[in-house]
Amino acid sequence: MKARALTTDAIFGVVPIALVVAIWQALVSFGYAPVTLLPPPGLVFARLAQQLVTGTFQQEIAATLFRLFAGFAIAVVLGVTIGLAAAASPAVNAVVRPLVRVLAPLPKVALYPALLLLLGFGHESKITLVAADALFPILLSTYYGASMVEQKLIWSAMAAGTPRREILFKVVLPAAMPSILTGCRIGLVISCIVVFLAEMITSTDGLGHLLVTAARTFQAVDMFVPLITISLLGLMLNGALEALRAFLLRGFPEV
Amino acid sequence: MTALPSRSNIQTELKPARKPAAAMIEIDHVSQTFKTSGRQNHLALSDISLTIEDGAFVSILGPSGCGKSTLLYIVGGFVNPTQGLAKVRGKAITGPGPDRGPVFQEFALFPWKSVLGNVMYGPRQQGVRPAEAEAQSRALIEMVGLKGFEDFYPKELSGGMKQRVALARTLAYHPAVLLMDEPFGALDAHTRTRLQNDLLNIWERDRKTVLFVTHSVEEAVFLSDKVVMLTRSPGRIRQIVDIDLPRPRRRTELLLDPRYQKYLVDIERMFDDADENELRP
Amino acid sequence: MMTRALLARATPVLACLGLLAVWQAASLVLNNDSFPTAIEAIRAIPSILGDKEALINILASLRRMAIGFGVAVAMSIPLGLMMGRSRTVASFFNPLLMVIYPVPKAALMPIIMLWLGVGDIAKMLVIFLGVSLPVIYHSFAGAKAVEEKMLWSGAAMGLSSAQRMTRIVLPAALPEILTGCRTGLVLALITMITSEMIARQSGAGNILFNALDMGQYDTVFAMIIIVGAMGIGLDALFERMRARLVKWSEPQFDIPVSFS
Repeated sequence: MKARALTTDAIFGVVPIALVVAIWQALVSFGYAPVTLLPPPGLVFARLAQQLVTGTFQQEIAATLFRLFAGFAIAVVLGVTIGLAAAASPAVNAVVRPLVRVLAPLPKVALYPALLLLLGFGHESKITLVAADALFPILLSTYYGASMVEQKLIWSAMAAGTPRREILFKVVLPAAMPSILTGCRIGLVISCIVVFLAEMITSTDGLGHLLVTAARTFQAVDMFVPLITISLLGLMLNGALEALRAFLLRGFPEV
Repeated sequence: MTALPSRSNIQTELKPARKPAAAMIEIDHVSQTFKTSGRQNHLALSDISLTIEDGAFVSILGPSGCGKSTLLYIVGGFVNPTQGLAKVRGKAITGPGPDRGPVFQEFALFPWKSVLGNVMYGPRQQGVRPAEAEAQSRALIEMVGLKGFEDFYPKELSGGMKQRVALARTLAYHPAVLLMDEPFGALDAHTRTRLQNDLLNIWERDRKTVLFVTHSVEEAVFLSDKVVMLTRSPGRIRQIVDIDLPRPRRRTELLLDPRYQKYLVDIERMFDDADENELRP
Repeated sequence: MMTRALLARATPVLACLGLLAVWQAASLVLNNDSFPTAIEAIRAIPSILGDKEALINILASLRRMAIGFGVAVAMSIPLGLMMGRSRTVASFFNPLLMVIYPVPKAALMPIIMLWLGVGDIAKMLVIFLGVSLPVIYHSFAGAKAVEEKMLWSGAAMGLSSAQRMTRIVLPAALPEILTGCRTGLVLALITMITSEMIARQSGAGNILFNALDMGQYDTVFAMIIIVGAMGIGLDALFERMRARLVKWSEPQFDIPVSFS
């Protein structure tokens, strides 16, 4: 029953995606859009397949992925640490809360020029920007999850002889894991987006840079290729995180 | 079935039934006020003094909001009393410890651990070696009737089974006192009576001290040696009723026993009188 | 009580002052030509805002942002609510949205510019795309969480399905919807700035990079303060409105955990 409902859903879900591609194709085929502005989907995907096997394109992907992972990893470590500390210690909370309140809604991309001036045009400025953008959703959901841990879980562990300083790692961290992973998922998508944008604004390599180069020479096909690549990368990374989540949360009731 | 070697087990064999036993828990003029959102503070417990002997099964019975759970939390060391002092084995309670094991109505199992993982948590925390902790835990899981469910996660179990796991998890670190906070309150009537029977069977083996919070008169009388009745808001001790019924107790026998019925009626009457007084403007 | 409330109000201001102080100290220590002190940057603000052209540019950006945000919210909330209440609608749109989700919306700027030119429409379209997804997702989640029994009661009282949507689902999901709008608002600003940085035609993002290219570092940092203040100000304003609208559902976010 359930499996069948899921496959029906899947078939149903493909329809709008197919529809978009069909409309795209129709726009070109019936001459509503010139090929120079809107290349047909077949051409774009063929170009993508052709590019994927070239070494230079793979290097661009590698550059983007490196920045993405480095920034995301920094954001996870900092976000989880600060979030837990803010939930555990009133003193940390008093400092972190107003800072987050001010920094979270600040458009981090505006800091990018400053980061360029301070850290140069290489990896560092882009990684910092990615980390700064991915940090807050992770920090906030960690804090939220850690603050909402059921008091009686903590009491049960304390009665079993867990020292207070270990409660944070033995109870609060695992209990907050569903919320932390939700934050990580948002942070990961943001990382994908930000790394690409940073590369578009100023870079000498990476997928974002490819798009800008193609735009300068009005190569419509080459503009679509990096966009589709980053979207596919995002989907794959999201899938990987989803698998990790399913494994880590195997004991938790589904939300 | 494996009998668990524990100190209290040996003691019960040496001492005569339960008469002049040592005091396990002493509650001395304890009061508890809570800060509420308004300016006024809420007095939850007022001047409670109570001594619980080693090996006794004592219920705290009262209407909801009378602070009976708070009293249990104070003994557990989870809440510090605003006034007064609680002691366990003559030592002042300053925080939670493995000599007092709680079982909560909400089960409070660790969702990220399997049944075995939950039960092993206490022994591992006490420094018991993994292999030994596992053997002990498996025996306990069998004792509470969950053999075969060791690798299940709490979410895969029914409420009654979860509470069995919670009981096993607490028993696993050999607390001297069991603190049970309306443990069967979230279960359906059938599961509830089954767990009451099983709890008594388990308790008969080593006669740990039990402090049992409930709002069910039948449950209190059926299980306890002593029923402590609290008044509503602020919680004061209204009366302590000794339940002088033979053990081991069988539900089917008790239901026909006039002494059992009289306890129920007497306690119900006392609450009725009190309710009438409270409803007056 | 009063002083505490006052203090709670003042902490974000204190945080801002603290950040500026850290900046000031850092720039004095580093003593780098391209890293002006906070005071120098603040001094440069009046000259930017005094420049009529820059001011008109920024205001035009904000106007486009407001329109893009407004249209996106108006379209996304109904779609999200319908997805939340109908499995069919949800399974129809979900995969499409999932594919669009990781696409950087501002990155579509060059392509959209190719089609529509550099006019207002292109810029508003990009902002619209950036705002839509979080609003749809939060409306979706909010509508999904509405209790079935509440709708049954509504049906029993004789509400039509459209009425149930506007009178039960919409208010019940409002806290979640507004959370989505708040994210969307910040995203609108981010998308606006980023697309201006990429398109380099006009607006705050363009001023930032022009100043960077010309080595006017005071202006760069002053613009960062202005854009940052816009973000914080818009968010605070929206938060105030949100708190007033959903007074009834204030989440208890501030329960301290008592294990420390």
